[in-house]
Amino acid sequence: MSAKKILIIDDDEHLVVGLTAKLKANGYAVVSAMDAVAAVAVTRQETPDLILLDLGLPAGDGFLVLERLKALSQMVSTPVIVLSARDPASNKQRALQAGAIAFFQKPPDNRELLTEIGRALGEKAALPQFLKT
Amino acid sequence: MQMDAKGHVSWVKEASADIGGTTGEIAKAQLSREECAELLDVKAWGPMLETYGRTMKLAVALTDAEGNLLGRCHNPQPIWSLVQSAMVGKGTGCPFCLTPPAPCTAVADALRTGLTTIAHDAAGLTHVAVPLLLGDHPLGAIIAGQVADQYPESLMLQRAAKEFGVSVQLLWGMSSKQRPVSRAALQLAGDLLFTLGQAFLQQRYGAILEAHVARSNLRFRLLVDGVTDYALFTTDPQGRVTSWNSGAQRMLGHPQGEIIGQPFSRMFTVEDIQNGTPEKQLRKASQEGRAEDEGWRVRENGTQFWANVIITALGEEAGSHRGFALVMQDVTERRRGAIELETVRQERMNLQEQFLSHVSHELRTPLTAIYFFITNLLEGVVGDLSSAQRETLEFSLENITQLKDMVSDLLDVSRVETLKLTVDSQRMYVPGLVAEVLRTCLANAKLKNINLLADIAPDLPSAWADRSRVRQILINLIDNGIRFTPDHGTVAVQGRVFQEDAGFLCLSVIDSGCGISRDNRLTVFDRLAQIKTQTETSRKGLGLGLFISKELVSRQGGRIWVDSEVGQGSTFSFTLPAFSLAKLCDSILTPANLATGCVTLLSIDVPAINGSVPAQDLTVLRKILERCILAGQDLLLPAMTEEETVETFFIIACAETSGAGAITKRLGRELENFYHGADLKPAIFATTVQLSPNDRPWEERKAEVMMRIDKLIQAHVLERERAR
Repeated sequence: MSAKKILIIDDDEHLVVGLTAKLKANGYAVVSAMDAVAAVAVTRQETPDLILLDLGLPAGDGFLVLERLKALSQMVSTPVIVLSARDPASNKQRALQAGAIAFFQKPPDNRELLTEIGRALGEKAALPQFLKT
Repeated sequence: MQMDAKGHVSWVKEASADIGGTTGEIAKAQLSREECAELLDVKAWGPMLETYGRTMKLAVALTDAEGNLLGRCHNPQPIWSLVQSAMVGKGTGCPFCLTPPAPCTAVADALRTGLTTIAHDAAGLTHVAVPLLLGDHPLGAIIAGQVADQYPESLMLQRAAKEFGVSVQLLWGMSSKQRPVSRAALQLAGDLLFTLGQAFLQQRYGAILEAHVARSNLRFRLLVDGVTDYALFTTDPQGRVTSWNSGAQRMLGHPQGEIIGQPFSRMFTVEDIQNGTPEKQLRKASQEGRAEDEGWRVRENGTQFWANVIITALGEEAGSHRGFALVMQDVTERRRGAIELETVRQERMNLQEQFLSHVSHELRTPLTAIYFFITNLLEGVVGDLSSAQRETLEFSLENITQLKDMVSDLLDVSRVETLKLTVDSQRMYVPGLVAEVLRTCLANAKLKNINLLADIAPDLPSAWADRSRVRQILINLIDNGIRFTPDHGTVAVQGRVFQEDAGFLCLSVIDSGCGISRDNRLTVFDRLAQIKTQTETSRKGLGLGLFISKELVSRQGGRIWVDSEVGQGSTFSFTLPAFSLAKLCDSILTPANLATGCVTLLSIDVPAINGSVPAQDLTVLRKILERCILAGQDLLLPAMTEEETVETFFIIACAETSGAGAITKRLGRELENFYHGADLKPAIFATTVQLSPNDRPWEERKAEVMMRIDKLIQAHVLERERAR
C-alpha cells in the first residue's frame, strides 16, 4: 500500500521544509503549495489524502481556499487541518464550521499534530450520502 | 407648713415638683438673657394676670428674679397708688409691702425654695409670691395680694397714714373698699397662681421653641432656594412632589406651581417608566434609606440630560417614612468627558492589541519553522546526534517553548486591558483535565526529577468553566511549581469542593519549593511580577502568567490566592463555579411553567460518522432544535460532554408526557428534513420526571427535580461513551 499523501499549503518556505521532513520521517508522502491559487491547482492535480492549511496566504485568504477546496467534488471528504498563527479564539470555530476537522495554532505540539493526522487518515472512509448534500 | 423667723410661710406642693420635673430637661440647655426676657415678656403675661386678678379680687404683678416689678400691677386697689409713690426712689423692694421696715424677701425666698411663699408687712398686709422656674433656672416671680387679711386696726391705720402723708379717713376708705382676704384664701389663691404661672411659662417656652424652629426652617428654605446648581425637592411616600427649589426649576424647567402634587416619574424617560424604574428607586430608598442612580432624565421641554440622583427616605425609623428628599445634579458634561476619555483609552488599547496581535502572529511562523527543525534534529530525522549535540538541542527546544508561551501571554495581557480576554464556560470534568495537564507537564518535571501527583476528591462535581482556560491556568501554576521547587521535590494538584461555599470547586497546586515571602505574596498576581530566588535566579517568562491566571479565574466567577511561607513551599488555589443544572435552567423553572408538576428530559442522539459528527452539522442541528422548542418554557442545554463533537443534545421541557410528545413530533419532522434519505437517523428519547409533593419548599422541589434530571443526563452520556 502506497504512503498517504499530505498537502501542505503555507507561504513560509522554511516551515514547509521543516514540516515536510517531519512528515516524511513519519511515513507520509508530502506535496506543498505556497499560495492560494497554487493550492487549488495542486489539490486538483495531486488529490492528497489530507491537507494542512495555513490561513494567511498570498493571493487569497485561507478561508477562501477552504471553501474552494470543499467545492471540489473529489475533495469533499478530504480532511483539512488548519495550521495557522492566527488566534484560535476568533478563527477556530469559523474554520471548523467551514469544514476543517481541527485547528492548531502555530507552533503546534508535534505529537498532538501527528496524532490528529493519523486519526484523520485512519478514519477517512466513504461518508454517507446525506452529508454530501 | 413652715414659718421662718421673718414670718414667711412656705409649703411644699406636689404640683410644683411635677411641673419642675417636666421642664427640667429643656431648661438644662442654658437660656440666654434674651430668651429669659422673651419668656417674661409683660405684654404676653398681661391678659392672663389681668384675668386672674379680677377673678380672684387680688392685685397681681410680675417681677424679675430680684423682685423688681416688670410692667404694671394688674387690678390695683386704690391703696396701690400710695405704695407706688412711696416706692419711687427707693430702688429694689417689694411692690406690695405697705410699710418698709425691712426689705421684703418673699420673691427671693420663693425662687430659692421653689415654693409659694406668703409674706406679711409691718402694716399687716399680706401677699403671696410664686416662683417662675424653668427647670432649675429662676426666671422671676408673680406677686399677688395687697389686701389685708383683716380690717386694719386703728393704731396701724394712724401709723400708715402718717407714713404716706394722707388722712386716716382716706386710708381707711382705701383699704376697706375691698373685703379682706383671709390667709387660707390667699394660700389657695397662691396655689392656683403657681399652677397657672408654670403652665403659662411652659406654653411661652413651647411657643419660643416653635418660633426658633420656624426661623431655622425659613433659613434652610432660603438656603435650598439659593442653590441653583442642584435640583433639590421632596416628595410624599407615593412620589408626588411636595417641594421644589429654584435649582429644580432651572434644571428641569417645571415651574414650582405646576409640579407640586405631580408624580416625580414625569422626569423619567418613557422606557424607564415602562420598566417601573421610578417605583423601583423609591422602593429601594424606602428599604435601605437611600438610593443613588445615574441615568437620563427628561426636562419639561422634552430634552434629556444625564443626571446623578440621590434619594433619601425622610423618616424616623426604617419602614415608616414621610416621603423622600431628592438631590439631582446634571452631569451630562462630565459623562461626555468620561465617555470621550474612555473612547480614547479604548482606541489606544485596541491599537496596542492590534500591534501585539501582529507581532505575535509574525513571531509564530518563524518560531514554528525553528521548532520543526529542532524537533526533526532531535527525532533523528536528519541523522544521528552525539549526546552533547542532543543536550544542546534540548536546551534550544526548552527556550523555544518558553518563547511560545511568552508570545501567547503578550496577547492575553493586551486582551485583559481591552476586555477581550474571552472565557466560554461549559460543563467541565476536573479529573480528566488534570490527568491531561499532568501529562503535558511531565517532560518539564522529569528534567528536575520532580514528582507530579494528582489528588482529586472522588465525588468532585463537574465545574462550569472554560476547559482550555482552566488548562492554561493549571499549566501555568504547575510550571511555576516545578520552576521554584528544587530537584526531587513534589508538585501536587488537589481538587476539592470549596469548603467556604459548596457552590464552588477549589483546585490547588501544592509544591515543596522555596516558598514566597510575605512581601512577594502581596504582589505575586500583579502584572510583570518577578520573583528571584536562590533556586532560580534567571529570568524566565515575562512575569505575566499569574496576572493572566488571576484574570481568567475572575472572569469565570472564581478567585485565586496563595498560601506560602519561605522554605515551606507554596499552595496556589483557585475556585471555579460548580456546574448546576438548576442554575442553568433557572429562567424556565417558574411556578407557572411547572404547574403540571412534571419536567421532561429529551435526549437527541445524533448519529456519528466514524466516531464523530462534523462541526458544521452540529451548528445547523443546534439551530434546528432551537426552532422546535418554546422559548421561556423549554431549554436546549449547552454541551454536556467535553468533546467538542458532542453527539447528544438535551432539552429540558416544562411539560408532561403529552406536551413532550408534541415537541418530539416537531423534532422528528424537522430532523427528518435534515437527514432526508440518510441511512442513519437521530434517536429521540423522552423521560418525564415528577416534582415532589407540594408540601415541600419550592426551592427544594426545584433543586431535587433538577438533580434527578442531571443524573439521567450523566447516565445517558456514559452509556453513549460505552457504546462507542
